[in-house]
Amino acid sequence: MLRRGWFLPIAAVLGFAFLYAPIVSLVLFSFNENRLVTVWTGFSLKWYGELFRDPQMINAAILSLQIAAIAATIALVLGTLAAVALVRFRRFRGRTLFSGMVSAPLVMPDVITGLSLLLLFVAMESMLGWPQGRGILTIVIAHATFCTAYVCVVVQSRLSDFDRSLEEAAMDLGASPVRTFFDITLPIIAPALVSGWLLGFTLSLDDLVIASFVSGPGSSTLPMVIFSKVRLGVSPDVNALATIIIGIVAIGVLIATIIQLRARPKKARA
Amino acid sequence: MTNTHEPTYPPPRRLRPWNAVEKRLARVGITGRMLVLAAPLLWLLVFFLIPLFVVFGISLATKQFGRPPFSPLLTSEEGTVQLTLHLNNYIRLFTDNLYVAAYLSSIRIAFIATIITLLIGYPMAYAIARAPGPWRNILLMLVILPFFTSLLLRVYALTGFMRGNGVINQFLGLFGIEPLVMMQTDFAVYVGLVYTYLPFMILPLYTNLVKLDASLLEASADLGARPVRTFLSITLPLSLPGIVAGSMLVFIPAIGEFVIPSLLGGPETLMIGRVLWDEFFSATNWPRAAAVAVAMLVVVVVPIMLLQRAQGAVVEK
Amino acid sequence: MAKKPQLAIDTRPWRDSANNKPFVRIRNVTKKFGDVSAVHDVSLDIYRSELFCLLGGSGSGKSTLLRMLAGFETPTSGIIEIDGQDMTDVPPYNRPVNMMFQSYALFPHMSVEQNIAYGLKRDHLPKAEIDARVAELLALVKLQDYGKRKPHQLSGGQRQRVALARALAKRPKLLLLDEPLGALDKKLREETQFELVKIQEQLGVTFIVVTHDQEEAMTLATRIGVMNQGEIAMIGEPTDIYEFPNSRFVAGFIGSVNMVEGTVTEDEPDHVRIRSAELGCDIYVGHGVDCAPDQILWWAIRPEKMALSREKPENPFNANVTTGIVEEIAYLGDISVYQVALESGKRIRVSQTNNVRGNPDAITWDEQVFVTWDDNAGSVLTV
Repeated sequence: MLRRGWFLPIAAVLGFAFLYAPIVSLVLFSFNENRLVTVWTGFSLKWYGELFRDPQMINAAILSLQIAAIAATIALVLGTLAAVALVRFRRFRGRTLFSGMVSAPLVMPDVITGLSLLLLFVAMESMLGWPQGRGILTIVIAHATFCTAYVCVVVQSRLSDFDRSLEEAAMDLGASPVRTFFDITLPIIAPALVSGWLLGFTLSLDDLVIASFVSGPGSSTLPMVIFSKVRLGVSPDVNALATIIIGIVAIGVLIATIIQLRARPKKARA
Repeated sequence: MTNTHEPTYPPPRRLRPWNAVEKRLARVGITGRMLVLAAPLLWLLVFFLIPLFVVFGISLATKQFGRPPFSPLLTSEEGTVQLTLHLNNYIRLFTDNLYVAAYLSSIRIAFIATIITLLIGYPMAYAIARAPGPWRNILLMLVILPFFTSLLLRVYALTGFMRGNGVINQFLGLFGIEPLVMMQTDFAVYVGLVYTYLPFMILPLYTNLVKLDASLLEASADLGARPVRTFLSITLPLSLPGIVAGSMLVFIPAIGEFVIPSLLGGPETLMIGRVLWDEFFSATNWPRAAAVAVAMLVVVVVPIMLLQRAQGAVVEK
Repeated sequence: MAKKPQLAIDTRPWRDSANNKPFVRIRNVTKKFGDVSAVHDVSLDIYRSELFCLLGGSGSGKSTLLRMLAGFETPTSGIIEIDGQDMTDVPPYNRPVNMMFQSYALFPHMSVEQNIAYGLKRDHLPKAEIDARVAELLALVKLQDYGKRKPHQLSGGQRQRVALARALAKRPKLLLLDEPLGALDKKLREETQFELVKIQEQLGVTFIVVTHDQEEAMTLATRIGVMNQGEIAMIGEPTDIYEFPNSRFVAGFIGSVNMVEGTVTEDEPDHVRIRSAELGCDIYVGHGVDCAPDQILWWAIRPEKMALSREKPENPFNANVTTGIVEEIAYLGDISVYQVALESGKRIRVSQTNNVRGNPDAITWDEQVFVTWDDNAGSVLTV
């Protein structure tokens, strides 16, 4: 390996500082006693208390978690099927269209996705009478749609590394295709399914724009509530909420990384 | 010594219920493959592709009061069906300075933000790719971590950083420097875009750079090229697919970005995502919003195709 | 070279195909992928307890043929019968056939025991029976203490043995082995070859082995089928394939060979004379050959079937002696290979056993030498 001197390390350190300084200050000031988010007056947990006493926040959080869980699960099933089709079926009619439809939501601007789904729901309601109004159902559908694309990418990469002879070996030993899927394929791609689901869950939890378009009265998700608060100015309870979310995500990513690091040597040698 | 062992037949297969189902389905021409394909295909057709056509259709309607707030495309009068298409939304798009300016400014902001992100992200990706093994995973995790935390909250974190009495100005105050006005400027929007999309730039670049064979660099050095020369003639061209993929992953969503300009930008920061949002939520002009969306789609189609080609190139390697 | 399985004459059923029923019959099997024929009109009979090797280069169709026997590919046309039953359209999980994969395909999330037991569980055998069978197989492949390990905790050779045990667990009528030793290093491969033959003899299971390694095929096989471009080029016992190749392809594919072109000048029932300008002499072949006078054909001879001398040896038929200059010598320890440039410019290789230690009188570079051979040492090839 070539020595590249001091430039790269310094660039990396500055880059990471840029990425993390705002987050660190956000976390610090969530423990600030003062309402002014940026002036440190003393340590306090009062914003956490306030957060948990705010029914609007709590309800939105519960709603968002429910939506994220359902949408991620639907996306898991659809994305896995799509990945199987793309990796395993070499040729089928409409393959180009299908792979385009699977990957396009990854880069589609949120405002377009949101607007187009809303207009679809309105059109469907007037023509078919379904879905009636907009709310949890429409948000779930919208989130499941773009999460499917993410799940598909994750599962696809795992499936294309997959040694097909493992499945052939199982069938050779007398397992039917269905049995093979549950005995061999599923356990081996399980880590990808877990990370696909988690990715879908986080993305759904994070989405503001699409949910704003397709939600109805009384179905405000957590990002929508945060956005309306933040728009009016800084509020320290959002700092507290952000700290909690960052903490959960950090722990989650940490666990996932540890699992992956443990799984890696197995994959390399087996 | 042969045949001391007589092979036995396997026990008879149990009849499984799905065998019958499978046979019946096969008779009407439905195979397992089609069943796997059907669910995602139908879902994406209905909830991804058709909505885009609906948007296009409604962009040809005109605003009216009522529910839904636009004129129907098809009207039937005494048995004859009439199709009414309005082009006035598109005409407005090209004649009204607001829209033209918003498009140009979106493209400009997204482009500049992409270049800055590339300039910051490339050295970081290269540093991670060249870092020793265990460090590489930790650094990569540090890049991915913010990606998993909410975009909204990260933008919010920036507001706390850049406010008039925010962290930066307080820090500058220690040296007696006057507070800078950063919030509600284009500068804040650039910072926000770079900050938010940096991981999108680093990840594809890393994936590309980590595969770069170090012996190529050694060969180049061996043949007498200095590090800068080696970088320009070997590393940079070979990482082009990564650069394209990363840049498109930043550029495309940046064009349609709504949260960042509305939280960090000032009233004069024109971005098309924000215009669409206001058209829809404030002016409730759905057909106009749809026309803006169609025009935005046209702008991002070329970068999307570039992205797919770059991804293909990355996969082939 | 390793000893072939010692079978008495009457246990070589292929020598008496009229009275013996083949165990595996492949009839006119063709497999096309799109427009490309991977396997083209192959017919092959394999008998019970044989260790049959399919030998060929990459793309020769040997693996496709094996996968059709296992049921992973369906022939485009033709029939595959195993033990009298038509297997052409039977899915892999219903065939009395097991396969050992080139990559071993050990299930990474299961222990060695679970891997071996997997096939038995699919047959819903009682647990005690499965446990006993697993123990038996672990003993067979000498891995008694490794049952609880995961595949990634084993060495390459151990994994290979687990794969073998797993494939044998269901007492298949036919075991297919795809490059069974390909992933092992040279020394381990040689040891394992003998073990594989021993296990095959002990169990009497019919083995079909796919390999690209001719040495491996010669060591293991009762018979070898040489494949080339989707077709069977030759079927025969290892000695037949090496000593009596039926075509230039087979002669050139197996071992090293000197091949020259020549014209028939005498075509008698008991001998043939071939004039070869390339060789610079006549070739006297001590047996009749199905050919016509003036026909152009090829004559192939192995390097070890020729002898070198400084003096011109006697040549009763005024043939089978040529002369040239030693250009190169490759000293390999047990033998030395001499490259001799003939007057025509043709280069031939002759190998000599080094049966004298540090021979000071050995033929050396740039010497003029005479090359000679027995009248039955070479093969006359018309295709």
